[in-house]
Amino acid sequence: MTAFLAILRRDLLVSARNSPVLLMATLTQPVLVVLVFGNILPRLNLVADEFRAVMVPGLMSITMLMAGVQGVLMPLAADLSGSREVDERLLAPISLGGVVMEKVVAGAIHASLAGLLALPAMIALMHRVGGLDVSPRWGVLLPMVVLSGLLCAAFGLTIGSNIQPRFSGLLFAVILGPMMLFGCAYYPWASLEVLGPVRFVFLLNPLVFISEAMRLAVTPDIPHMPIGLLLGGLAFFGAVFGALGARSFARRTIL
Amino acid sequence: MSALLRVEDLVKVYPGRRKTPPVEAVRGISFAVEPGEFFGLLGPNGAGKSTTLGCITTLVRPTGGRIVVDGLDVARQPAEAKRKIAVVPQTRNLDRDLTVREGLTFHGAYFGLPRAEREARADRLLAQMQLTDRAAAKPLALSGGLQQRLLIARALMHDPKVLLLDEPTIGLDPQARRLLWDTLQGLHRQGLTVIMTTHYMEEADRLCQRLAIIDHGRILTLDTPAALKAALPGGQILDLLLHASAPLAPRLAAVAGVSRVEKVASNGDADGLERLRLFVDPAEGLLDRVLRAVREGGADLRHVSLTPPSLEDVYIHLTGKELRD
Repeated sequence: MTAFLAILRRDLLVSARNSPVLLMATLTQPVLVVLVFGNILPRLNLVADEFRAVMVPGLMSITMLMAGVQGVLMPLAADLSGSREVDERLLAPISLGGVVMEKVVAGAIHASLAGLLALPAMIALMHRVGGLDVSPRWGVLLPMVVLSGLLCAAFGLTIGSNIQPRFSGLLFAVILGPMMLFGCAYYPWASLEVLGPVRFVFLLNPLVFISEAMRLAVTPDIPHMPIGLLLGGLAFFGAVFGALGARSFARRTIL
Repeated sequence: MSALLRVEDLVKVYPGRRKTPPVEAVRGISFAVEPGEFFGLLGPNGAGKSTTLGCITTLVRPTGGRIVVDGLDVARQPAEAKRKIAVVPQTRNLDRDLTVREGLTFHGAYFGLPRAEREARADRLLAQMQLTDRAAAKPLALSGGLQQRLLIARALMHDPKVLLLDEPTIGLDPQARRLLWDTLQGLHRQGLTVIMTTHYMEEADRLCQRLAIIDHGRILTLDTPAALKAALPGGQILDLLLHASAPLAPRLAAVAGVSRVEKVASNGDADGLERLRLFVDPAEGLLDRVLRAVREGGADLRHVSLTPPSLEDVYIHLTGKELRD
């Protein structure tokens, strides 16, 4: 436990020091999307006002996913195939499971903070445009953010332990791009009823559950996924990625 | 005396993948290292040195066998065993996001040292490794030699019983290499048990009290460098410079204790002198017999020199001359 806390303290210290860079990496995209789709296009009457309220929780989820990518996936991929700083931790008096757990906890803290920072940033950018109906329920938001943060970190752990850094371009094009577009970030899952049974295919995408969790907490008036399905999805994908990630991580570290 | 580290029948087979067959990296290695010893694992690339070291440090899971460090079974009590050992890995895996000094204090924290103790130890080790003036730098700003000393300082933070180094002087310039040797010898003199892998003969000869020469996953021989050299068949070289009227080589080759005679081509044949190189085993009366044979052959001996075998001769004799990847 001592080693776990010391390693966590180290990760949080380094993240805090790198926060300007990390903030830029995670907040640039939602801020730009909000500027265009939440500010410019509505003024040109090219986008319906409701879209802005739909988009806010969706962009929170994308921000958290990107935090998982920048905070866990990329550093881990670089570490495992190059610098091997991870070996110092594995040689500390801590189990392999402890090292994995610490990575997920540190990543979840990072992703949660990124999601929570994105929300006021977006509201501030859109506040001059009327008709934005965002009313966060903090009591629901905080646990949802934590659950989603854990899922994002576990996702980063799984992909980060399996990908070579030279394929990171492919990662964005083939994995993250589709995840974000089909992650119910820009439309509520409930409205996909028009697609018929196809809407259930979307449930294969873990980001859907994060977007819907944020929607439930931030824009409760907009239709959202039943809470049982939502929590089940977060827990299922969190557990699957946690287990897969731990296994891949073990395979890459202990020969 | 009870050994500080005991490796028993260690076997490691890396499982094959779709296109690669399994690799038997270690095929039954056993050795014991006494407290305070400077022990070396010498062998070509791919011999199994790093795998053996990996098994000792828990980063490689053995397929068979047992490793005991200071009474602790590494496989059964890894967390406790890891407190006894420290590793200087081949990849210089310093924490790039922390300063030199923070890298040390955090390492101490991972091992549960209280704050005051880890701060004091970090300062002491920085001074000992002559890194005090670089304490606030980032590790990547240091030269290879300084990074290597920082790795040793980090390894010593948690006061280990055994220091393991995997090819510590690779890529260092001669000055940095010598300084590192001095550092390691100093630590050894203070009582630290050191285990090092290398394929540099000079290093192994100079530093290690006992050496295991490893190849193809097996220990070929294990002894002190001096004993290894002494045991090399035909290992001593006796060079003769003489003036001969008749061929002398067959006569010398017949002398007991001489395993081979070579005529050495020399650039100064104009002086009418012949140079013969005798590969001999040191034995009682050998030189007498050689000299008698020279006299009986009617030759006029001008100069004799004896070259002891080098560790490299032993190494090449045991591991062969073919190129390793």
